[in-house]
Amino acid sequence: MKNSLLAADKGFFGISAAVNGEKKELSVRNAESLLDALRRHGWKGAKKGCDTGDCGSCAVLLNGKPVLGCLVPAVAAHGGEITTIEGLGSVHNPHPLQQAFVEAGAVQCGFCIPGMILSSKYLLDRIPDPTEAEIRKALDGNLCRCTGYVKQVEAVKNAAKRLKSRG
Amino acid sequence: MKNIKYYACPSKVKEALSLLLNKRYKAMALAGGTLVSKTLPDSVETYLDLKNLPIKDIRLQGGNLVIGAGATFDEIDRSRLCRTWAGGSIAAAAAACSTQLIRNMATIGGNIARPHSFNIFPVVLLALDAKVRLQTGKGAKLIDFQDLYTSGLGLRPGLDSLITEAIIPAKTRNWKCEFIKLARTASSWESYITLFFSAEKKGKSVTQARAAVGALSPRPFRAPEAEKAMLSGEGAAAAAAFAAELEAARAGEYRCAAASNLLKRFMEGKI
Repeated sequence: MKNSLLAADKGFFGISAAVNGEKKELSVRNAESLLDALRRHGWKGAKKGCDTGDCGSCAVLLNGKPVLGCLVPAVAAHGGEITTIEGLGSVHNPHPLQQAFVEAGAVQCGFCIPGMILSSKYLLDRIPDPTEAEIRKALDGNLCRCTGYVKQVEAVKNAAKRLKSRG
Repeated sequence: MKNIKYYACPSKVKEALSLLLNKRYKAMALAGGTLVSKTLPDSVETYLDLKNLPIKDIRLQGGNLVIGAGATFDEIDRSRLCRTWAGGSIAAAAAACSTQLIRNMATIGGNIARPHSFNIFPVVLLALDAKVRLQTGKGAKLIDFQDLYTSGLGLRPGLDSLITEAIIPAKTRNWKCEFIKLARTASSWESYITLFFSAEKKGKSVTQARAAVGALSPRPFRAPEAEKAMLSGEGAAAAAAFAAELEAARAGEYRCAAASNLLKRFMEGKI
């Protein structure tokens, strides 16, 4: 029994996780959310919006699946693979989804975009050629207060085409 | 979670249960974590993560539909079995829960472990005569879903026992069913009312009927008078009986009118 338990030391757990492909040893507070832990350790791409699981701006991929970073206890990422928006692409080498969002003018204030792009990535990983309804369903947990979602849907469609042509 | 001293993520049900039952650890089980991760009681010292337990299968067993407690709403929504069983109402119910990000995390086990008025699956399982398998310190128990929340059971799933699967009986496979959630927006977790209707017709007669209601009280309930009236095949009579039962449950004018109209339309084959 003791072997499967991870014990906290003075309120902190030592966890190991692969963050954006790199193995990391992280110290996380026992009451800390994955979102807070990631931001405290420098991955600030995931945004803190509502902190109640309603807005989706904190979405990150945990073991390939988008989750709400504000609802996942940081310690629950122990042994997992985390992908934040920083792990998807960079300014000089953007992921096709990032490129498509910029080109379609889908980004206004930008606060919701990291979560939206990660939700879109999961969608395109599963359904390479999604319908508009599938895109809207995949993004229904990512709230954007600037736009009417039209440009984001367009961006995901364009990214799907681009990814398809790349094979 | 400020008092959490241990984190465990076992891969065997037996191991999870033994940790849960060991009073030294003051453990509480979390499945998807969407409902309780922010509200873990201060008395809990061990966070028992159920994500690695082999209880995620959705399968046919002896003609019944078995949904592992660890299956997420998204997995249920995408399951071919759930999309065809009872007219696809199980998958439709899963898809109606909140947002995709929640559906990726939330599990059916967590949804039924303790009653909450807005939870979706209690309504579905109640209407479909489901059973629930629990692992307890005294072995496995198979109980009717409707008995899960009664104090006579003497168990508190997640604290002293684990729900491992929900079993939906074979007889419901071809039932004509409809799950309806009335809420401010499609992705609102809080709903005004959730409804599950079912009516099995043979020729002109209705041989079985179900009208289950959620979101009005912590536990969902069936409307026996409406179900009796549904057996007559008369939509208007069923709607009137349903409205009376909802009124008695203090549903309020809008919910009574909307829900009874929906039942009438369901009986008339319009939804």
